[in-house]
Amino acid sequence: MPVAQSRAHLLSQQPQCPKIDYMHGVKRSRESREAREAKKQREKSRLTAYLALSDDVLARKANREWSKDAFDLTSRLLSMNPEFYTVWNYRRNILINGIFPSSSPIEINDILSDDLSMTTTALKAHPKVYWLWNHRRWCLENVPDGGDDADPLAWKKRNWERELYVVERMLDVDSRNFHAWNYRRYVLSSMPVKRPEATELAYTTKKIESNFSNFSAWHQRTKVLTSLWDSGKVDRTSSLRQEFDLVQNAMYTDPNDQSVWLYHRWLIGSGEDKQRIEHEIQVIQELLDEQPDSKWCMESLVHYKQLLLRNHSSSLASGQADSLTQQCLYLLTQLEEIDPARRQRYQDLAADVNISTPAQTV
Amino acid sequence: MSSDEHKLLTSLHVQYIQNLGASKADLTYHLTAHLRMNAIYWGLVALCVMNHKDALDKDEMIEYIMTCWDEEAGGFGAHPGHDAHIHSTLSAIQVLTIHDALDRVDIPRVTDYILSLQQPSGVFAGDSFGEVDTRFLYIAVNALSLLGQLDRLDKDKTVTYIRQCKNFDGGFGNVAGAESHAGQVFVCTAALAILDRLDVVDIPTLGWWLAERQLPSGGLNGRPEKLEDVCYSFWVLSSMSILNKLTWIDSEKLTKFILSAQDPEGGGIADRPGDMVDVFHTIFGVAGLSLTGYPGLDDIDPVYCMPASVIEKKGLRKGWKALPRRTA
Repeated sequence: MPVAQSRAHLLSQQPQCPKIDYMHGVKRSRESREAREAKKQREKSRLTAYLALSDDVLARKANREWSKDAFDLTSRLLSMNPEFYTVWNYRRNILINGIFPSSSPIEINDILSDDLSMTTTALKAHPKVYWLWNHRRWCLENVPDGGDDADPLAWKKRNWERELYVVERMLDVDSRNFHAWNYRRYVLSSMPVKRPEATELAYTTKKIESNFSNFSAWHQRTKVLTSLWDSGKVDRTSSLRQEFDLVQNAMYTDPNDQSVWLYHRWLIGSGEDKQRIEHEIQVIQELLDEQPDSKWCMESLVHYKQLLLRNHSSSLASGQADSLTQQCLYLLTQLEEIDPARRQRYQDLAADVNISTPAQTV
Repeated sequence: MSSDEHKLLTSLHVQYIQNLGASKADLTYHLTAHLRMNAIYWGLVALCVMNHKDALDKDEMIEYIMTCWDEEAGGFGAHPGHDAHIHSTLSAIQVLTIHDALDRVDIPRVTDYILSLQQPSGVFAGDSFGEVDTRFLYIAVNALSLLGQLDRLDKDKTVTYIRQCKNFDGGFGNVAGAESHAGQVFVCTAALAILDRLDVVDIPTLGWWLAERQLPSGGLNGRPEKLEDVCYSFWVLSSMSILNKLTWIDSEKLTKFILSAQDPEGGGIADRPGDMVDVFHTIFGVAGLSLTGYPGLDDIDPVYCMPASVIEKKGLRKGWKALPRRTA
């Protein structure tokens, strides 16, 4: 027996090592000894079948068997355990070494489409399993040219379009799934026919309007807008104005929502536009007057006032620097009170305000 | 709530980790074989932090690790017969380092394996099929550093990729363009620390973003407007200690949150109070407690996520700061 094959058999006879269940959000329940035993009995046949199958597959892998039989066995094993990355690798190697060389392009396209369907089903049950997303990438990247005499990219287009549909459904179920968002960016950048970025901007609008707290969508918006501005497809000045309106609306809807304030800070950026900063300070001050204990209003006012002090000190009216400094220090004292968990940060910021504006020492 | 739940139940957690390997008749044990190597590392580091390094048999552990060597690839798999992967390779190197057994590894070969996974952009792939992620970049940097092979790495190229993953909020994502996430912030910050390139970090902004991860429950989340989870106790705190900003959150409240997620009967720590425990949340809960100065624990190095004494002995300690160790 080859060495590697005997290694595979070690699978079922390991020395003491920790196991992990990787539990997220599964409620703890205390099972009785009887219940545990009963469960074990119920699982016993599944366990035996699983171990036999996994030993079989790993032995075939060690023997570099690239057969259709082996391929079908990996399907069975992966449906029992979609996280068995070694078996995903083996499956791809069977396709590359055993099945694709004797298949026509149409057959290859069919096989890959089947794998995409199989992993769609698995993703519904395991939306955060990296290996499933990886396998889909590999499938998509290996779709051959063809599908239509007039259009050699027909299969590719169809598969990538369907992929965007799948990832959209995933984001409908969990709009913060970062695997899905990353995957979405990957699909958009890999499609044979790129979608206009304006369409993606509209998608983030839709996501944000259905839930202002969806920071993933705000984040995506920062990337799409940057690209649209840089390419000159969208006029930066007028688009910025619209963005400030959008974010203001969100701010007033829920002033405690962090996502909105982060996005606002992105819009202000390094703070070159003095007029804009002053305008936003005024807007936030009005909101703070309505919501006198709004932490995010205070935090943002401190930041923007400091930007004025740092970037625009030469164009401030006389006495304005001192007054801004005093306002920052006052806000930071208030923040210490309403947000004691982060007290030390506010104290450190206050110390910095004092250091950076020595002029105020009367 | 009993007063016990305000204390770390060390002996229960030690027993919990010792018993993890005793459940081979459970299907779950076998369904998680792809995480076995990581789990050994998580269990061992948790034991080290709780000062019970010897609770698992050292020789048995080393022998097991060596059976996971993938001769064809030149790296370690998660389990015997499993393919080499950069993640299990790091865990193996970390465990062997802690047990002072790196002489068992073919260092030039495993170094070649790790370096072969670097992509033209500077990021690393996890294995030969090429999933890329800043997690794998950190893993490569950490492993090469432990192996004393960092000189063979193209550091500028590596840092260039991390820079591309930096967002306006100061955080980092798993690939260029991705949303900031506390786990990715940890891997990027720690990689930059090892490479002596913390100048890439916008410390005030990232410090702020990290401080805002604490929720009213005391627990930390990984991204804005998400739920708290014990594992972020480590991802967030390690980054904060590397940036010397650990005082920017309420560590007392966080301590209470972590302790409330313990299983007071079976041992182990869960993601949130009342949930099922696992060794992943147990190590990151205990590691978080260590960084906040919880009494009676050993120091953990936040850059390598290994016992600080091991890293110090190798001369690899960076300038991070934990909170002072409290006396009970």
